[in-house]
Amino acid sequence: MSNYIELKKISQSFNTNDATITLFNDLNLVISQGESYAITGPSGAGKSSLLMLISGLEEPTSGQGIYVDVEQKKTLKELRNDIGFIFQQFHLLPELTALNNVALPLKLRGDKNAMAKAKVWLDKVGLAHRVDHKPSELSGGEQQRVAIARALVFEPKFIFADEPTGNLDQKSATEIANILFTCCQENNAALVLVTHSETLAARAQHKYLLADRQLNQTVSPSDLDTNNIVQVASC
Amino acid sequence: MLSNNLKLAWHFYKQEYQSSHQRLLRWIQGILLLFIITLSQSSISIQAYLDHNLQSLLGADAVLSQKAELTPSQHTEVIEITDDMVITQHIKTTLTHNGQWQQAKLKAVGEHYPLQGELLTSTALKEKGMPTFAAPKNGHIWLDARILASLSLNIGDHLQLANQQFLVSRILQHEPDRLMEGHTVDMRAMINLQDMKALNFSPDLIHYRYLLAATPAQVNNLIKWQENNLPAAEIRHKNGNHPLALFWQRTENFMGLASIILFFMAAIAVNQLTQVHMKKDQYFSAICMSLGASNSTGIQVSFFKWFIGLLLLLPVVVLLSACSHWLIVNWLQETFADMQWQWHAKSALVSISAVVTIFAVFHAPVWLSLRNNSVANLFADKSKGLSHWLSKISSLIVLSAVTITYSDNALLTMMMVAATLFTIILMILISWSTLTLGEKFTQNFSGLVPFSLFMMKQRLVSKSTQILGIGLCAFLLLFTLMLLKDLGATMSSYQRQHDGNVMISQATKPQMQFIENWAKEQKIAVRQAKPYMYAKLIEINQQSLSKFSDKPSDSLATFSRAIRLHWTEQVPQNNKVIDGQWWQPNSENWQQVSIEEEVMTDLGLAIGDWLTFFIGQEEIKFQITASHVFKPGAGSITFWVQMPPTALAHIQAPHYNMASIELDSQQWPLLANLWQKFPSLRMISLKEMTDLFDRMLAMITKVISGFSLMIILLAGVVILASINALESKEKKKNSIIMSFGFTRSTCLKLNIIEWLVTASITATGAILGTYFTGLLIYQSQFSLNYQPDFVWLIATLATILCLVTGLGIYASRSNLKSSVKQLMADT
Repeated sequence: MSNYIELKKISQSFNTNDATITLFNDLNLVISQGESYAITGPSGAGKSSLLMLISGLEEPTSGQGIYVDVEQKKTLKELRNDIGFIFQQFHLLPELTALNNVALPLKLRGDKNAMAKAKVWLDKVGLAHRVDHKPSELSGGEQQRVAIARALVFEPKFIFADEPTGNLDQKSATEIANILFTCCQENNAALVLVTHSETLAARAQHKYLLADRQLNQTVSPSDLDTNNIVQVASC
Repeated sequence: MLSNNLKLAWHFYKQEYQSSHQRLLRWIQGILLLFIITLSQSSISIQAYLDHNLQSLLGADAVLSQKAELTPSQHTEVIEITDDMVITQHIKTTLTHNGQWQQAKLKAVGEHYPLQGELLTSTALKEKGMPTFAAPKNGHIWLDARILASLSLNIGDHLQLANQQFLVSRILQHEPDRLMEGHTVDMRAMINLQDMKALNFSPDLIHYRYLLAATPAQVNNLIKWQENNLPAAEIRHKNGNHPLALFWQRTENFMGLASIILFFMAAIAVNQLTQVHMKKDQYFSAICMSLGASNSTGIQVSFFKWFIGLLLLLPVVVLLSACSHWLIVNWLQETFADMQWQWHAKSALVSISAVVTIFAVFHAPVWLSLRNNSVANLFADKSKGLSHWLSKISSLIVLSAVTITYSDNALLTMMMVAATLFTIILMILISWSTLTLGEKFTQNFSGLVPFSLFMMKQRLVSKSTQILGIGLCAFLLLFTLMLLKDLGATMSSYQRQHDGNVMISQATKPQMQFIENWAKEQKIAVRQAKPYMYAKLIEINQQSLSKFSDKPSDSLATFSRAIRLHWTEQVPQNNKVIDGQWWQPNSENWQQVSIEEEVMTDLGLAIGDWLTFFIGQEEIKFQITASHVFKPGAGSITFWVQMPPTALAHIQAPHYNMASIELDSQQWPLLANLWQKFPSLRMISLKEMTDLFDRMLAMITKVISGFSLMIILLAGVVILASINALESKEKKKNSIIMSFGFTRSTCLKLNIIEWLVTASITATGAILGTYFTGLLIYQSQFSLNYQPDFVWLIATLATILCLVTGLGIYASRSNLKSSVKQLMADT
């Protein structure tokens, strides 16, 4: 088994003024590098909180999370260097060009070839002609492509996407989904996405429903009709 | 509709009350309102005091005053014009008693004195003053309490004046005609007119004052008569200006000019905050418009919200201003005795209206942005353009208007504006070059510093605005503090180094000759000795001085009295000719003068202009042929007006000398003999001089410290405002960085690096700006040779770095309270 994240008997709850609200109880989940996961569920079920727990950015109320990296057991906090995020609102920095936005994580890591690598990734997501454009000059779909390139450019092992197509029209959503799945696959990165879109969720190898404080797997790789997987020409 | 909007504005005002952008706006408004209201209240109080003072302390309906006695015919003419006349004579002299000496202003009065008002005297120190209706008897002298203490005298003692004995018979408590000396701290003594004659002072040392009883019509006739017959004489009357009015107006103008700096900083801070206000109000307006409201709803709510904020701030500000005003009045009572605290509602209202209007102009871009945009634009936040430029232009117009209103010393104002502009350009250049070059050179290096430079370069415009705001504050603060430090240090060391320890400001020719011989005998060094005569400027290019300019300035204030006119063949060693041509030796053209550069600028004079002076008893015309400036290092005695020595043959007037001598500690008692021989010799010791200087410096320190406090407060607000303006962007940046797998500590390190870079640029710009300003202003305005103290500058640089970085990091700590989850929630 390659690198993976394992959550064991995880519970998450928070206190309001006069009550304790439990989001989920005794939840178990394994996220393996190179595979795709979709988490669906009604609003307020705790999907985004689960994403934060899996990525190690938040601590669970109870339970244990481990990160196995080349057969070495680590805490989820040590996962930080190997994760990337994609958001519904894209969250590009408005003052920076597409190229500089993509180069940002590489520059932070002190990569001397940041700009060249960023260019390659913009080319991969089909935006080679938009490198010098600022976010305000790009469409929603284009902005999300830049965000995908930015999340993948430093080659993280796990990508977390929060409603990545939630702000896009059908056509752009399909294009973005194609790029996202293909790029993660080509990069051997795990893709964990939270979505309300059944169409998008259906493309993941593993599909989970988070409802009534429980996480249930609804689709596993064996259920998948391989004919349904749309292949993209390139990433 | 209007009331609904008002209610809505009130609701939103309460909701936003605790938010930082509203809190910062309240601070800016509060500080400026406090400063302006206090300034105007104090100003009105002083004007009212001076006016009352003029009515009650002139001791006559009109006072005619000059250096010479009226001729018998002039005397007769004045008597004919007026109802009654009382003559007083004045001389600055030195009283001696048991080897101690004390300078005093000696007044000689006749039997009819006083003309109006009450003369109060007593026979014991703690006794209340009794009305006295006669002058001191022959051989008697009345002294004020300070002289008694200073010379250890008691009633019944005798003191010596010009080798004559006088009996100290009463204590002088109040003279009804004190107004003319109201602003001096000279000690007072009074004798009988007959004794003055017996003392046999040189007539040209005596100042003559004629107290006149006259109706307003007679006063008008007297003024006309004086203009035609005695143009160099000074006339004061109850319908005119107080002698201190011009002085006070100048002080007020200087403070007003200084307030431009505060307005400038407020404009920067408001400009930074406007971005946040605009965003919030636009969002609200967009929601209103999307629900069917017109765009005027958004503007009205925004305006009312702003106005409510100001309105609720006013009671606090007015209360604080009243307290500050009370403190200032108490402090001023040292100078203006009996001055009372009084609240001037009308003036407060005018000041408040003016400042509120200025704030409205500063805030106008927010309302304009709401007026000129559609719902789509508002949601998309693309409101820059017209309103952006309008905001800059409107702020500039307001600042220019304030500058023009308060401009007193044209040269200083021009220099200050030039220095500020230079600093702005310098900081923009430093920001741009540091970030561009820094980013370029560190491209191939890894680490957080190159990344910070990269990010700052990418956000050059918003970063430059922040740097400019903070940098200008640092510059203004630094300059104010440096001026305070250097003015004190340089002036006192300069005085001590070059001038000896006794300065003679007026010695007649025989007195000077005696001093020179006496100095030789006693082995006392005479450092400098320069001759002069008194000359009163009455016309410039055949236009009377009062008509030529009614704008108060340093030079005009001095020219309202007789000035010292120096003659010299060569350019003095401590002067430098900067315009025109100095006269040739033995030049036949004696009607030429060289005028000091600042006087030329202040009065708007040019080479070739004609000046008419009243010297002795005649009018003499001179053409300006050169302009000189003070050059330090060769003594401090310098003159504003200088003429060729060949002019002396054509002018009949007494000659005097200014000189400085150096005594060692054993030689000090010798001065008592000198003063006994020449009681009218005007001489001041280093100790008295430094005491005077220290008193002046203490006053300047108090004023500048108060002013610095205002600047520090506003500088803090500017830094907070600039952080507040970028807060949402910074938060987002930090969240995104964390989404790349970095921790909060990385964001903190980046934050520290950014603030260090910001502070370095700011400090470098501020110090260079201050250095340039020093070079530009020191020499011309304060006659100081600007020699920057590099240790002090480096220490200042370090202090600014620490303070700005510290405050920046502390204030932007909320930017670090960001998380990836916030980005997810931001839908």
